[in-house]
Amino acid sequence: MREKIQIIDTQTGESVEAEIFDEVALAHFIETQAEWRPVVLAAARALSQQPNQGFLIPRHFHWDWTRKEAELKLLAVKFYGLAYEGKLQGIMKVETVAHSCRLPEQQGKPMVYIDYIESAPWNIKKLMAALGQPQRFRAVGTRLFEAAVLQSQEEGFRGRLGLHSLPGSEGFYINECGMTPVGRDPHKQNLLWCEFTPEQAERYLAGE
Amino acid sequence: MNPKRTMTLNLTDQEMSVLDQLSVQKDLSKTALIRQALRLYQLVDARITRGEKLFFEDQDKQKAELMVL
Repeated sequence: MREKIQIIDTQTGESVEAEIFDEVALAHFIETQAEWRPVVLAAARALSQQPNQGFLIPRHFHWDWTRKEAELKLLAVKFYGLAYEGKLQGIMKVETVAHSCRLPEQQGKPMVYIDYIESAPWNIKKLMAALGQPQRFRAVGTRLFEAAVLQSQEEGFRGRLGLHSLPGSEGFYINECGMTPVGRDPHKQNLLWCEFTPEQAERYLAGE
Repeated sequence: MNPKRTMTLNLTDQEMSVLDQLSVQKDLSKTALIRQALRLYQLVDARITRGEKLFFEDQDKQKAELMVL
C-alpha cells in the first residue's frame, strides 16, 4: 500500500503532497535512529535546562524503532510510514490482534491498537521551539492516525481503535480526535487508555 | 488496501457453528475472524519459537502454561 496524502508545510501554510505506505523496512527504523533521535535528544536536553519546561520533555525520547525489526514479519503487527520527498516524516506501529475494547458498550470486541506513533522531531512544534527553529510540517500525526482508523475498518473492526496516550498527547486524542478517555492503566505506566467506537471513528473520518 | 486472494474453507457443522457464534460475539465477519485467528496463531508461534511461554491466569492468580503445537 502506498498512497498520496496531504500534509501542511508550516513555512508556506500550504498543503503539500506526501506519501503514506505500509512497506516499512529496517532502513526506515535506522533512519529514525540516525536522523530523528539526535534531534529529539538535543531538544530534550535544551528543555531540561530551561526552568519549568521539564514537563515538555518528550516522553518518547528513548524510543528505538530498530528493536522492532523482528515484528516486521508478523501479520499481527503493521507499520506505516509517511514520507515527503523520500524523507521519513512519521512512523506508526499498530497491532491487529490481542487487544480488545474496554468501553462497556463494546467490551471484548477486537480493535486496532496503536502501539507507537511518532512524528519526526522537526514536525513537533515544542521540540523545535526548544531548539530555536520552526516546525517543518503539520498534520503528520493526524494522517497516521487516520491510517489506523482505516486499518480498523479494513480489518472488519468498524473503526474500533485504542491506544495508551503519552501525557503530552492526551489533549490531541481527546479534543482533536474525539476519543473517549476510558481511564488510567496501572499495567502500562498509568497512561491514559483512550478508545474509539465505530460511531466516533465515522465522525472522525467525516471530519466532524 | 492490499490485494487479497480467495480460498475455499471446508468446516464441519460444529466448526461452522463456533465460527458463527464467535462472529456474532466479536462483531466480525467470518473472514475477519479467520484472519484474526491466523494472525494470533503466527504471533504466538513466533514468541514460543524464540523461547517464550504462554500462560493463562485464573481469578486466583494461578498460572497455567498453555502448550501450543
